[in-house]
Amino acid sequence: MKNIVIGRYIPGNSFLYKIDPRTKIIALIILMVAVFMLRSLIFMLAGLGLIMLLLAIGKISVKRVYLGLRPLMFLLIFTFSFQILFNTQGTQLIDVTLHYTVLTIPLIIALFFFWMYTKKIIRFKLLYFFFIVSLILSVLIFIDVGYTLNQGALTIYSQGLEMAFFIMLRLIIIVTLSTILTLTTKPTDLNLGLESVLKPLKIFRVNTEEIAMILAISLRYIPTLLDEANKIMLAQASRGVDFSEGKLKDKVMQIVSLLVPMFIISFKRSDELANAMEARSFVPGRNRTRLQTLHWSSLDTVALSIAFVALFTSIALRIFV
Amino acid sequence: MNSIEIKNVSYQYQPNKPVLQEINLTIKKGEWVTILGHNGSGKSTLSKLIIGLLKPKTGEINVNGIPLTQETVYDIRQKVGIVFQNPDNQFVGVTVRDDIAFGLENLQIPREEMIERIETYARKVNVLEYLNKEPHALSGGQKQRVAIAGILAMHTDIIIFDEATSMLDPKGRNMVLETMKQLRHEGKTIITITHTMNEALLSDRIVVLKDGRILKEGSSQTILKDKTTLEKSNLEMLLPLKVLYDLEQENYTNKRIKDLLWELSLNV
Ligand SMILES: Nc1ncnc2c1ncn2[C@@H]1O[C@H](COP(=O)(O)OP(=O)(O)O)[C@@H](O)[C@H]1O
Ligand SMILES: [Mg+2]
Repeated sequence: MKNIVIGRYIPGNSFLYKIDPRTKIIALIILMVAVFMLRSLIFMLAGLGLIMLLLAIGKISVKRVYLGLRPLMFLLIFTFSFQILFNTQGTQLIDVTLHYTVLTIPLIIALFFFWMYTKKIIRFKLLYFFFIVSLILSVLIFIDVGYTLNQGALTIYSQGLEMAFFIMLRLIIIVTLSTILTLTTKPTDLNLGLESVLKPLKIFRVNTEEIAMILAISLRYIPTLLDEANKIMLAQASRGVDFSEGKLKDKVMQIVSLLVPMFIISFKRSDELANAMEARSFVPGRNRTRLQTLHWSSLDTVALSIAFVALFTSIALRIFV
Repeated sequence: MNSIEIKNVSYQYQPNKPVLQEINLTIKKGEWVTILGHNGSGKSTLSKLIIGLLKPKTGEINVNGIPLTQETVYDIRQKVGIVFQNPDNQFVGVTVRDDIAFGLENLQIPREEMIERIETYARKVNVLEYLNKEPHALSGGQKQRVAIAGILAMHTDIIIFDEATSMLDPKGRNMVLETMKQLRHEGKTIITITHTMNEALLSDRIVVLKDGRILKEGSSQTILKDKTTLEKSNLEMLLPLKVLYDLEQENYTNKRIKDLLWELSLNV
């Protein structure tokens, strides 16, 4: 809980910090569209290269971005494996027999438990995970000793492999882009930017100031609520609720024991906050002056032009290649 | 001139469960009044009535001579500020600067003047160096002083402190008390709401609430010594006074004095 980095601003002074938040938000949308236009793995790799270049010029450490990706690791691994195992288009690359014998089954179970109990003390968890997965696969492929209970086949097709990498890269690029936005934009600026980017929605009678206020307050209260969740977890842990381990049923109970107090506290909190806001003369929908203002500079024009060039390039690639 | 006139005001959240009954209270301009009462005696309800967050069931309230109605409530809120109990639940801005600005933005103060006022009042409550900080980087006392700066910047005549020090450590509490003393010198009307005696000592007048009624009202000196009133409303007497009263009872012994002083030292 403590290490959540989504939406965290890290002070810095590269050009990414000097771009107007409106530019960053619009560029983010444009670049996402551009990424979704791409159709082949080569282009996606080129895209990843450009993103790495952006990180390098913008002096953003890859480690920060990796921290932003970590909560999505499960999703990444899942989509990756899914494509590899079940996409059967293209030419067959690998076709090996998996031997489930009286020797290999206990062996992989042992490996699994070994991983379960050692993963906590290993530093490179992801690497370790892949190491164990390849160990298990090697056992199933190469050890054909003992009475065979069952046989399976591991077949990998060229399209499956390509799609697996393609989708994974696309996800990584998109999350990296959003992480760049939140890492380099102060919450206040992000909010102002969103408010003015949303402004065109006014013609559909959407109250954009109110949406911006809701977003601002959400941003403001995320750290407070996380603190609260931590406190409750500690309190529940001292009453014997174990948040780290357990079966699915226990997990559900743990989550309930967290959510119920969180819900009650948030309710009280929002009631008090609403009172405090009204006491300070806040009237929903009424005009307000603003302390913070945004300034468009030539840097923004350049940044936005580059984003558009990227978009047109990927549209061209889509049409002509 | 009177800052606040409360005439015959009653209030209830639920039918047949009156929370305030027939409250009559007049507070003069520049006066510092403490509202004292046990938990649930209706203190916060009273402050919400004064600022028009709640509407009295009967009676009327005047602020600066203006009757509080649907039409005047927004004008009256510009004259009255409240610092609430929980510093976390009144911090609206993402940073200290934004939070002090919040009220000013609502009052539609021009940007240049806003910047000036933010600096003035941040300096005044000693949070100038934290202007760019986010609330989770501040202590409770600092957050509470930001809340005070936010109210002061709005130039309200009346400031209500609703148990504003109860969640603070002794240091944070003293910082806030110092600010209150300073405000008195500037001629602001101050209402402090509390259920401890130490704070009440500073004010000019104490109003004791019990179960939604005014039990007693008088100068701080007289109320603080009023043993029967304090006992009736479940309030702790200041320890030196408690010792004094205990010693005045005839059959005291050296051991009793020692015990009392021991108790006193534990509570300071
Ligand atoms: N929103 C509410 N709905 C119903 N009852 C309330 C509400 N707020 C307060 N009360 C009740 O009104 C009484 C007075 O509350 P309050 O004014 O907060 O007291 P104090 O501030 O003196 O502790 C209490 O009995 C409380 O339970
Ligand atoms: Mg209260």
